[in-house]
Amino acid sequence: MSDFGFHLAFWSLAAMTIGGASMIVVSRNLIHAVIWLVLSMLGIAGLYLTLSAEFIAVVQVLIYVGAISVLMLFAIMLTPRAERDNSQHIKTAGPAGVVVIMVMIATMWVAIDTDWGAVREAALTEQARLIGESLIKHYILPFEIGAVLLTAALVGAIALARQDDEDAAVHAASLQAELDDDGSVDPVDVVDPPLPTDGEAST
Amino acid sequence: MPPLEHILVVNAVLFAIGVMGVLTRRNAVLILLSVELMLNAVSLNMVAFAVYGHVDFGNITGIVFAFFIIVIAAAEVALALGIVVRTFRNRATANVDEVNLLKW
Repeated sequence: MSDFGFHLAFWSLAAMTIGGASMIVVSRNLIHAVIWLVLSMLGIAGLYLTLSAEFIAVVQVLIYVGAISVLMLFAIMLTPRAERDNSQHIKTAGPAGVVVIMVMIATMWVAIDTDWGAVREAALTEQARLIGESLIKHYILPFEIGAVLLTAALVGAIALARQDDEDAAVHAASLQAELDDDGSVDPVDVVDPPLPTDGEAST
Repeated sequence: MPPLEHILVVNAVLFAIGVMGVLTRRNAVLILLSVELMLNAVSLNMVAFAVYGHVDFGNITGIVFAFFIIVIAAAEVALALGIVVRTFRNRATANVDEVNLLKW
C-alpha cells in the first residue's frame, strides 16, 4: 500500500470517528445520536484495521455496531416521548468546555512530547491464534469472570426492565397524565399507587 | 502503520469529546453514549500500544485488554439501559438532574 493512500485512509477514518462523536454531543434527537454513534464506531473499527489489529476490528463491528446500538435503539423506542426534547444542555457548559479543552491539550501534549520508544514497524501476525492462546492460558481467570459477569448482567437487565402488574398500572397512569397536560408530569402522581387497605376492611 | 503519535492525538480528541458529552448533556442515554466514546478511545489506545510494543517484550496483552473492555461495556450498556427504562417508567423522565430522589 502506498504511503499517501495509507495516510489518506487513516485521516479520513479519524475525521469520520471524530465527526460522528461531535454530532453525538450536539445532536437533539436520541435516534440520530445513536446513528452517529454507529458511524463513529465504524470509524474506530477502520482505525483498528489501519493498526492491522483485524480481530478486534471484527469484534468491534459485531458488538458495537451490531449489538449495542440496536439495544440502545430498542431502549429509546420503548420509552415514549424520550427521543425528542433533548435540546437543553446543563447550564454550566462554559466551565465544562474549559475543563475539556484543558484535558485535551494536556493529553495531546503528553502524547506528542513523550518518547514512547515505539519500535515495531511490522504487524502482529496470527493474532487470532495468539489471542485464543492467551485467553485460555494466561488470562483464564478474567475470561471466566467475564463470562459470569455477562450472565449476571443479562439476568439483571431482564429483572430490571421487566414490567409486572403494579408497574403496568403506574405506567398507564403516567401515560394518561402525559396525554392530559403539556408533558410536565408531576412525579408524585405516578410513583406510588395507593396501598390496598383490606386489613382494615376485614376487621 | 500510522505513527503512534497520530493515533494518540486522535484518541485524545475522542476522549475529550466524550468528557464534554458527559459533563453537558442531561439525558441519561446520551451520557451513556459519551461514556462509550471514552471507553473506545481508551481501548484504541491499548491496541496502539500493543501493536507498537517492543519486539522483545511484544505480546498480545493490549489487544486482549481491549477485548475485555468491550465485554465490560456490553454488560454495562445492558444494565444501564435497564435502569433508564425503569427510571423512565417510574419518574416519567430520563434527565439525570431531575432524578433526585436520594438528594436531601
